[in-house]
Amino acid sequence: MSLKKFSELFDDLDSINSTNNKIEVLKNYFLSNDPIDNSWAIYLLTGKSNKRFISGRYLKILFSQIYEYPQWLIDTCYLKVGDSAEVVTLLLKNKNNSRKKKLSNISLNKLLSETIPALSKLNEEEKNLEIQNLWETLPEDNHLIFNKILTGTFRVGVSIGLITKSISKLINIEEEIISHRLMGDFKPSIDSYEFLINKNINLQELNSKPFPFLLANTIEDKIFKNSINDFQFEWKYDGIRMQLIKRSGNVSLWTRGQELVNESFPELVEKMTHIKDDFVLDGELLVWNFKEEIAFDFSLLQKRINRKSPTRSIQIKYPIIFIAYDLLEINGRDIREILLENRRIELEKYFSKWQLKTENNISDICKICDLIFPKDWPDALTYKEKSRENNTEGLIIKKKTSIYSSGRKKGIWWKYKVDPMQLDAVLIYAKGGSGRRAGLYTDYSFALWKDKELIKFASAYSGLTNIEIKELDKWIRKNTIEKFGPVRSLKPEMVFEISFEKIQISKRHKSGIAVRFPRITKWRKDKKINDADSLENAYELMKKIS
Amino acid sequence: MRTKQEYLIRYKDGNLYCQLADIWIDPSKPVKKALITHAHFDHFTFGCEEYISTKETAILLKERVGDNIKIKTFEYGEEFKINGINISFYPSGHILGSSQIRFIFAEEKWLISGDFKLQKDQTCKQYEIVKTDYLISECTFGLPIFKWDESNKIANDISKWITNSPEKTSLIFCYSLGKAQRLLNEISQTNFKGNIYTHGSIHKMNNSYRKLGIDIKDTIKIENKKKIDELKGSLILLPPSLSKGSYLKNFKNIQTAFASGWMSIRALRKRSGYDKGFAISDHADWDGILEVVKKSEAKNVFFHHGDSEALSKYLVEKESINVLLFGK
Repeated sequence: MSLKKFSELFDDLDSINSTNNKIEVLKNYFLSNDPIDNSWAIYLLTGKSNKRFISGRYLKILFSQIYEYPQWLIDTCYLKVGDSAEVVTLLLKNKNNSRKKKLSNISLNKLLSETIPALSKLNEEEKNLEIQNLWETLPEDNHLIFNKILTGTFRVGVSIGLITKSISKLINIEEEIISHRLMGDFKPSIDSYEFLINKNINLQELNSKPFPFLLANTIEDKIFKNSINDFQFEWKYDGIRMQLIKRSGNVSLWTRGQELVNESFPELVEKMTHIKDDFVLDGELLVWNFKEEIAFDFSLLQKRINRKSPTRSIQIKYPIIFIAYDLLEINGRDIREILLENRRIELEKYFSKWQLKTENNISDICKICDLIFPKDWPDALTYKEKSRENNTEGLIIKKKTSIYSSGRKKGIWWKYKVDPMQLDAVLIYAKGGSGRRAGLYTDYSFALWKDKELIKFASAYSGLTNIEIKELDKWIRKNTIEKFGPVRSLKPEMVFEISFEKIQISKRHKSGIAVRFPRITKWRKDKKINDADSLENAYELMKKIS
Repeated sequence: MRTKQEYLIRYKDGNLYCQLADIWIDPSKPVKKALITHAHFDHFTFGCEEYISTKETAILLKERVGDNIKIKTFEYGEEFKINGINISFYPSGHILGSSQIRFIFAEEKWLISGDFKLQKDQTCKQYEIVKTDYLISECTFGLPIFKWDESNKIANDISKWITNSPEKTSLIFCYSLGKAQRLLNEISQTNFKGNIYTHGSIHKMNNSYRKLGIDIKDTIKIENKKKIDELKGSLILLPPSLSKGSYLKNFKNIQTAFASGWMSIRALRKRSGYDKGFAISDHADWDGILEVVKKSEAKNVFFHHGDSEALSKYLVEKESINVLLFGK
């Protein structure tokens, strides 16, 4: 019933690898704690909207001020630990204060709904004093959780799926229902917890909530053995996956990250409100080039995502479209169990009906996803290769006779992504990693040739195996030219194959280009730095695409 | 002010060396004369003509590598002379027999800390503060994020970890010399009363400890064990080298842990691949290193075995202690 219990839960979950044991531990936790703390626990564990009360940087500075620790020493420690909340926690152990612990059993609810929110009402000096006071009165074992909550960095290896499974086991109701109840905004309260564990299923209550999203798997070779006619083919758009819901007259836009984003796209909400039917559509939101009928780059969509109540001029400058590819519910009837080919018929039927009403034509903001009809698999491959031309990432392949289940279920949807673009580049800088990669050099910068100079063009930190990371870390330590804080400049010697999805002109970068999703795909030990690509090669690549 | 060449003890070929006595300390390659601080293999190499150590270290070494080495022993505190230099061993609290080594020449004192810890450990002699002019100290855990919990707290955590999963076999990986015996000693004082099994390498060291008068709880050699079912709810101590590879297939339904100071950092714990980490170390933590540096009253300090950058800067800035660097 307390922060203490929750800290123990965190320790347990952190040190158990077996999924079944985690579920058991969670179930027991829910059984032995009161509803309000349980609901906070779920809120924290699912990490839905962990609010940051102060930054990790501030936390470190505060510690340095209070306990007169040199900032550089804390920064050095951070390189080893990789998490501000944890660094401060470990350093606090060294500040064995004799003050009496008074808060040995503060409830999670009190901490999260009173103590911490109250901090934001204080001026800086008072706030600092209060944090110091909390550090010195909370038991040592609870410091990590407290600091993580403060900095909004509470994360643990528990997926929403695990929470769903444990609640499902707790009350003996199918996971699908629990999963649906957990969708959308989860406001920690007694009510939300009781709703979650309610044994009576009442679909009305799920009204404002999206369905659990069905996700695509990476293409498998065995699919090519099937007849091409068994599948539906769509372009894979690079936008925001979304469910567009209209129930009882109210429209809500839910992202796959389960955020309600109505405020960012008011023009879409407004238009859809006029449709008479109720429905749930699954689709993709994009910034759309209406002249050429293709999507604009994702970077334009970014201009809209984080902007609430966009002005009219923003709406015109970055015009959005919702491309619907599935119909999940119509006028209160859940049709997810209907086969895809039949859902598609329904989708087309309703769309043509909606578009007929000229008084509120929706076609300038919402359209149905076009299908592609490859003759055979080689033809599908040709389509895939052409996908860059219309700014898509490849194909989505869907089994016509599948139902809409939840999660990354196998054998229903596949993504068939266009092959990445690649360049061979030279490693020139390395930076210490954070989190799980703390204490290792895992963030790398790569350069291409320009005349006889190496110019940085991309940074990447994924793609190497753990063994390669360790090997490279050793090499980095031995081949450092200079250290700038956490960054080391390195002897140019190592060549890597870097893959990325997009390449475009950028004035912000010295190289003049920017790439999207750069990652390491091969350590080219066979190549010398003179074999690496030049910026000119990169420009040619860009020309070829556009 | 003397040049690096004139220091009584300096770094040569990656090892500590005293030219005046032509003697090496824990050399990593064969030499004529080697002083050995303790019996861990990273402080010992075969093929030296003569070894010098404490009595306990000599016995442990012979137990590990055979009688075929020439080794001269001295008691803690007993002075001996080589080329006019007075040398003596003092307890360093790292493992049984471990020592600091002090050199006195022309009224100048040098102290090599060896691997050391200040924490209580009933399986070896407590660290003894020795005054010196020059201190050469290890700094494996030379950052303030390292602050050890009392070892009985860790032992209670271990006991809880095992008893909370009675259907499982609990495997703790730890160094077979020193850490294993310390754990056994601590665990025997907790509520855990189940069976404890040990790997042959640990079993051997337990017997050596007992011969040297240290009380180590009786354990069963895991190699003598046949039935997997009987291992439920019990504890098995194994050397870390067995944590990778097929050895673990000998057991069913296990949970694993690693006992090491590094386990205090979550990222390292996660990366280690063990289910659980117990942060118990036979090296000094940050406070321990600072305490030794201050109490030794050394005016000049060298560090080795670890990242000494931050520690050195801290001592220079905050404590005004002169930290020197060995020329490599």
